[in-house]
Order: sequence, then structure tokens, then C-alpha cells
Amino acid sequence: MTVSFVDVDVRPTLRAGGEPFGEIMAAIAKLAPDQGIRLLATFKPVPLFHVLGSKGFSYEAKELDGGDWEVLFSPGAATAPADNVAPAAKAATATDASAWPAPVQHMDNRDLDPPEPMVRILATTEKMASGEVLSALLCREPIFLLPELAKRGHGWRGGFEPDGKTYKILVRINAAKETAA
Amino acid sequence: MIGVALSRWTMSYFATALIALIAAEGLMLAGFGYPNAAISAPQSLVLVHLVAIGWLSLLLCGALFQFVPVLVARSLYSNSLPLPTLALLVSGLCALLLGFLQLSGSIGSRFGFFPAAAILLGAGFALVIWNLGRTLWSARPLTLPARFVVVGLCSLAATVFFGVVFALVLGGVTTRAHLLDVAAFGLPIHIIAGLGGWLTFTAIGVSYRLLAMFMLAPELEGGTTHGTLYAGTAALAVAILGGIAAICTATNVMWAVGGAGALGLLGVALYAGDVVHLYRARKRRTIELNSRMAGVALANLAATVVLGIGLLVAGRFGDHVGVIVFLVSFAWLSGFGLAKLYKIVAFLTWLECYGPVLGKTATPRVQDLVTEPRANKWFVLYFAAAWCAAAALLFAMPLAFRVGIAAMLCATIGIGVQLMRTRRLANVNPDLRLPKGVHPPHLLHSWVQQS
Repeated sequence: MTVSFVDVDVRPTLRAGGEPFGEIMAAIAKLAPDQGIRLLATFKPVPLFHVLGSKGFSYEAKELDGGDWEVLFSPGAATAPADNVAPAAKAATATDASAWPAPVQHMDNRDLDPPEPMVRILATTEKMASGEVLSALLCREPIFLLPELAKRGHGWRGGFEPDGKTYKILVRINAAKETAA
Repeated sequence: MIGVALSRWTMSYFATALIALIAAEGLMLAGFGYPNAAISAPQSLVLVHLVAIGWLSLLLCGALFQFVPVLVARSLYSNSLPLPTLALLVSGLCALLLGFLQLSGSIGSRFGFFPAAAILLGAGFALVIWNLGRTLWSARPLTLPARFVVVGLCSLAATVFFGVVFALVLGGVTTRAHLLDVAAFGLPIHIIAGLGGWLTFTAIGVSYRLLAMFMLAPELEGGTTHGTLYAGTAALAVAILGGIAAICTATNVMWAVGGAGALGLLGVALYAGDVVHLYRARKRRTIELNSRMAGVALANLAATVVLGIGLLVAGRFGDHVGVIVFLVSFAWLSGFGLAKLYKIVAFLTWLECYGPVLGKTATPRVQDLVTEPRANKWFVLYFAAAWCAAAALLFAMPLAFRVGIAAMLCATIGIGVQLMRTRRLANVNPDLRLPKGVHPPHLLHSWVQQS
């Protein structure tokens, strides 16, 4: 099967501080069976590998000159995500490597005084339904938040973005309880 | 566990440290030791060690048991070792102080206080280094602030080594020629490794992270910060290793001290540039009391260095070394310690009490645990009094010195009362103080959450 690729360039959205997830999922929804997408992003979109992996896409990622990333998502046998996750992301993953749904809540907490980012994330998680995912940007690793998330039974995945300054965390409500069940 | 839990015994370290500071100020007010006695007199050494071990080292150890895990994003190797460690350090300090009193003839007992102090303090600080060292070792490669702490811990080891040798020689346990040489010529190295390496260099490393965190300034990892680390490490290496070499080869130790001084000056200059940058590049325009007062303490460090150079140029450094030690201990290290204590106690107490119910119910903010205007006046009094006392020392005015010390003592007690109110949640609006599921914190230890 010859795969043709549809270009999805989310770099302008990312540079404007936006969240391109909706844009990407809309493009995926429009694909024909023999089509894939050629994604251009400002960082290696590790969380997306899981999400699209669960939809049956395999991927091939390469870094472009200037630090941007090109990822080809092709339909067909998905590679096992655990083998392809960047080591940092794998080390920081507190729950299993299965696919998580797209985040329903996005927060940018980078300009908040500590411990306000933790306060807001915990307040938001209390209002979310089981299985939903929250995505938050922080300016450092939330070391006091992680034990609190674990205690409340939420799963999380996190790591530094390639800029080395932004920490992105995904929190899945009650994920630990579901895994245990 | 992933992430960082509360350090269980940090509050006990802080409380013991504050008691030691108040006791030292009380002794100075009573005219005990320097400047009424010579700076090397046993009474003065009681004061110096009550401040250096009882106050500053316990404060720093308590803080490091909480903040080394924060710096490296790993749990502390052991959260139960700090309590026996504290017992060893406090009993070792008591033995050391009794040893000095024995030396001065104030107590008649013939018990071997110095050997006991050497064993107890040696074991206590070895446990500190072991616990923090294991934590740091598990987190390699280390972040830049953590590397400062490693150098600080190495300096602590050197300080303790010299201290143990002094204690064994003074206690008459050993008469080996090499050790007698170390005791005779090693004092400058003991002081530099302790005040400069362990206390100052570690505080500098921690300050990079704390200042950036509480003022929303960018984390510094550039050339000047590396420069500070390398210049400071080189200065300490020259002072400690060069000093030991000088003692072994019967060369004048002051050559090593001079070389270390030049490198140390470079390190302090680079650090000063970084600090100014951190304050300027901060995103948070209105800064809290802790950051303002840390700024005053940092300015005091700079002023102390300038004064030291001035005295050196004037050829009077030797006469006034007591003034410099006083300023380093009280205007810089104690000032910085008290300023950061004010934030750390509030933050840890808030996290311990309200962390488990965040988002589930209305909770106070960290700043609701403190009343800054009340604490502000005590900090202003503390710094003003410290400088007045230093000036009185410089111009040999013993009465004015004691007036300054009296004001410092009042200010320290004032700050201590504010810290106690914070820990007791006394500043929090009673409606918000204890929501359902929140336990009032214990004064001396923290309830550690299990995940």
C-alpha cells in the first residue's frame, strides 16, 4: 500500500501558545484509509505517539534543522508505544503505557507563583470525571504534586519539553484505581 | 516514591537551631567571650561553636534534608535517620562546649568531654553526609545547584576532620607529631572550610534555586553560574588541600589562604552578578518579605567582602578578624537563614496541613499563614542591630556592642514568635484554619504523607 501524507503544520499554533491537539485530531478524522499525516511541530510530540498508536498509526520521527520535528504517522501496524517513548518520558511515567484519551482540560501554569500551579491542578482534577485527562504546562517539575496525585489515585505522565524550560504533565483522573481494578 | 515527601524532622532542627541562636545572643549580651575575652579564648570558642554548629549547621542540615530532594527530584535516602543524627549533633555540641569550659577552668570535672565531642559530632555529621550523599548519588548527573551542595558537604567533611583532630589533641588523646602540627596550624583552614565552604557555599547553591523559585526568575545555568561553582570549588580546594600540604611540608599556611582568597573573591564577584541578574529578571514584581530580606543579607555579604578587602589593604585584617567572622555569621548567614526560614516554615506547614485537601475544600494560601508587616519590623531591627554591633566591635566600644546584641536578641525572639505563630496556624482566619480532614501540625515534626 502506498501511503500519501497530508501536511499538518502545528508550529504556528504552538508558537502562539495554543494547543494543537484538536487540529491534529480533525486532520486524522478526514484521512482516507491509505493516507497518513506529516506533522510538523516545535518539539517531539511524545504524548501523541500513544494517542495515535491506539488509533492504529505507526510513526517515524526525525528532528529538522533548527530544532523542529517532522513526524510521519502512517496507517497500519502501530509500533508498541513503550519501545518508542523517549527515555525521559518513560522514566517519568507513573502508570502503564497504554493510550490515554485526548486532554479535555488545558492549563498554562508557567507564570504562577509556587504553589499556585499545584493548587490549580488539584482543584481542576476534583471537578473532572474518571478517565478524563488534564494537560498542564509548568515551569519546573512538580515534585510536591506527584505524591499527592498518586495518593488520590490519579495517573500522570510528564517530562520536559525540548526547550528544557517547560514541563508538561498529563494527569488522568483515577487512572491508578482503574489499573488496580 | 516518585516526587518528594515532607522531611519528617526538619522542624526539630529549626527549633533547636533557633534556641542555640537565642542562647548565643544571650551569652554575648551577658558579656561572655569575645570581645571581653580574646577571640581564641575558650569562652569565645563556646560562642563560636554554639553559633556555627548549634545555630547555622543545624539550620542548614534541617533545610537540606528537605531541599536536597527538591534540588534533585528524588526522595531523601532515609527520612528516619535525621532524628538520631540530631541527637548525636546536639549531644556532641554539648560535650564540645563543656570541653571548652573545662579548658577555661570553669568546670572541674575530669571527664573526657573533647574525645566524646569528637566521637559524637564526627558520627552525627557523618550521618548527615551519608544521608544527603546517598540521595545526591542516586540523582546523577546532578543539577548545578546540587553540585554546590556536594562541594559544601566535602567542605563539611574537611571541617569536621580538622575539628576532630583539634578535639583529640586538646583532649590529650593523641600526641602524634603530624596531628599536633594540624592542631597548631590548621585553624585558618578549619574556619574557611566551615564558614566559607560548608555554610556559605552551600547557602549560595541553595539560594540559586530558592531565589529563582520564589521570585519567578529564570533558573541560571550559564557561564557565570558555572564560573561561581568552579572558582569557589577551586578556592576551597586550594585552602583545604593546599593548607594540608602546607602543614605537612612545614610551609606557611597563609600562602594557601591567600591563593584561596583571590579565587574566592572571583567566585563571590560572579555570584554577585548572578544575584543582581536574578532580582532584575524576576517576573514577580512585588516580592515577598523573604526575598527582600534575603536581598539585604546578600548585600551584607558583599559589604563584608568589601570591608575585608579594606582591612587587608590597610594592614589591619589580623586585628579585626573577629568583626569579619561576626558579619559573615550574623549579617550574612544568619540573616539569609532567618529570611528563608520565614518562607520555608510557612510553605512546609501549608503543604503538610492543606496539601491533602487541596481542591476538595476551601483552603488558605501560603501567605495567609504569615503576617509580613509584623515580621518586617523584626527583620529591620535584626539587620540594623547586627551592623551596629559590628561597628561597635570595629571601634572597640564594648557597651555599644552589648546594646546592639540586646536589639538582635529582641529581633530574633520576635522572628521566632512569628515562626511559631505560622507553625501553629495562628495567623490563619479561624473560619479557614481547620477544614474537615485537616490536622493541626505538630510543632516539632511533620506528618509524612504516604502514597
